Amino acid sequence: MPLQADFLLRERKNYPMVHYIHFKDPTSREIEEKLDSIPRCPGTCFFIDVINSTDIKYRTKLRQWGKRLNNTFNFISFLNDLPGNVVKGIGDELMLFIPDEDLFSKTSYNNYFGLLGEIYATIDNLMNYPIPDTFLNCKVAIHYCTEVYNISFFEHANDYYGMDIDLTARLMTKARANRIVLSEKFFIKVKNDMIDHDVRIQDSIISGISPVYMEDFKGVPHPTEYRFIDVGA
Amino acid sequence: MIVNEEKKGNVYVLTPEGRLDTTNYTILEQHLAKITGANAGNILIDMSKLEYISSSGLRVLLMYLKKSKEVNGRLMLCSMIPDIREVFEISGFVNIFEIYGSREDALAS
Repeated sequence: MPLQADFLLRERKNYPMVHYIHFKDPTSREIEEKLDSIPRCPGTCFFIDVINSTDIKYRTKLRQWGKRLNNTFNFISFLNDLPGNVVKGIGDELMLFIPDEDLFSKTSYNNYFGLLGEIYATIDNLMNYPIPDTFLNCKVAIHYCTEVYNISFFEHANDYYGMDIDLTARLMTKARANRIVLSEKFFIKVKNDMIDHDVRIQDSIISGISPVYMEDFKGVPHPTEYRFIDVGA
Repeated sequence: MIVNEEKKGNVYVLTPEGRLDTTNYTILEQHLAKITGANAGNILIDMSKLEYISSSGLRVLLMYLKKSKEVNGRLMLCSMIPDIREVFEISGFVNIFEIYGSREDALAS
């Protein structure tokens, strides 16, 4: 069971799927051949950003800020099997990527609807925890990625690159506290799971989902459709 | 997941078995909704047979803790296995729930 704030470091040395790219000769053709041979790695990417962390850091003492960030990261770690799926943390933002292969083999939620349900529950629990100043609120952007590759330029590290990862980061610009922004591509996956499991939208956590919006994101060559869920609204 | 329901005095004892997560939390929720909706009494969840709890499981417990308080009822928990206890400690849920070591202790409280 994934617990404690050290989850970011766990399993760091064991990434059997990552393609490690490291060539000393900058003119090497080998690197191009190696890159051409790397398969796509379809899966779900999401970013979780802790809200107001920077503000609290400057307004309060380190111990108050650090405690709440620690607690919040711990709580986020309850997203099942998260240690293996955290790609990186930068300050108060986490990037996660769950390859389809991993998602389908999970024992708890093993589909996109289940994943969204766990993310929703996490945000809701953080919002509704009754003792003040214990946690921080979060915002989330989530996208189903097909144009993505599991490569790292650093030994013993894991990373994912591709246009769909960039797009997930762009979706975060539409998020705010306690909001989950979903690309339409991910929402379609969720909807298909709901049909398969006979779950009606009006009876589910996505009953309040927004209509579809369209946006031209910086650097993305085509308009992107997205929706959002305001948790607790 | 199966939820066994029995009544001991004015306390409804629910015993969920297996894993409590996004795929099945509604089963427990239906029991909790029925009892709190009817303002029928206090609730004890015996967690001795619960092997795993996810964020969705925690969420349904938090929701019904609030609802129980609204109707002046109690939602108590007991007999957690160590893994579940650890989740409750790290999530801070030990600070907001009445948690007992055994069913007997909870019923006597």
